[in-house]
Amino acid sequence: MKVIIAGAGSVGRYMAEQLQNSGHEVTLVDNQVSVINNRPKDAKGGVTWHLGDACEVATLEAVGVADADIVAAVTGDDEDNLVVSLLSKQEFAVPRVLARVNNPKNEWMFNDMWGVDVSVSTPHLLTALVEEAVTVGSFVRLLSLEGGKARLAEVTLAANSPAIGKELSDLGLPRESTVVAVLRDGHVVVPRGDTVLNGGDEVLVLVTGGVEDDVRKALVG
Amino acid sequence: MALRRKSKNQSDHDASEPVAVSIADMQARQYVCVSGKVTRMTARPTSGQPALAVMISDDSGTVTAVWTGRRSIGGITLGRRIAIKGIAVARGTKLEFTNPSYTLLPR
Repeated sequence: MKVIIAGAGSVGRYMAEQLQNSGHEVTLVDNQVSVINNRPKDAKGGVTWHLGDACEVATLEAVGVADADIVAAVTGDDEDNLVVSLLSKQEFAVPRVLARVNNPKNEWMFNDMWGVDVSVSTPHLLTALVEEAVTVGSFVRLLSLEGGKARLAEVTLAANSPAIGKELSDLGLPRESTVVAVLRDGHVVVPRGDTVLNGGDEVLVLVTGGVEDDVRKALVG
Repeated sequence: MALRRKSKNQSDHDASEPVAVSIADMQARQYVCVSGKVTRMTARPTSGQPALAVMISDDSGTVTAVWTGRRSIGGITLGRRIAIKGIAVARGTKLEFTNPSYTLLPR
């Protein structure tokens, strides 16, 4: 797939390296000469580096956003990330636009109004992971998908959870939700209708629409 | 599209002048010009912020254009003929323009 990454900082460079290793065609765009000059010389090709301001249509056109599959705006500046996202979506109809949220206060703007399909907020993610690590028996949102329409959530089942000892199909989970994985003793259990839940299981649930409360009730009580 | 500009080595896909097509022949990510009648207007709150969605129909089909940040556009009314220039995004099975440029056509 053709991936354009705006912002060749540590995040952008890491992404480029990983994506190139898995065989994608990656272009990094940055407007700082020093960053471009300091690019690793031993790179095995694959990643194209481009000096230019990704907030300008001409630059985006030059790096081939017109036929890119994915644009990732991962600069350290939320304004720039929003501009890159909007231009990619509006001017080039890029199918998938990802944007990095630096300041969680700006997260509300990273939606389809600004052309963002998926936003990733590091502070939010860290909070969620800390919560996930320290809490048993509560419902933790890990990730938002499709502009918040779907969520991946995690519950570590406490000893008094109403779900313990029940088969998944008997939990009465709403149709708009799916248990996608059960983590048990370091193993991943692929959930089926007859999977029985135990105390201490980490249950990953994909939830859409407004059924979060029903899922919470079934798993947490 | 005010921002679109001419580049030296442009491809057909991304020419500075749009291709005039019927709505049914439109493809995603192609710079096109379509014209038709406004058959539906919806002021939708996209993620809480205002947006105006206008459905345009010609003899071959319908397409939606969305203008963000507003609930109405002077001159665009039901039954009005308009021409749209822009690049459409595929949303599921349907195509949608985001903030395209438009021209009001004589009735």
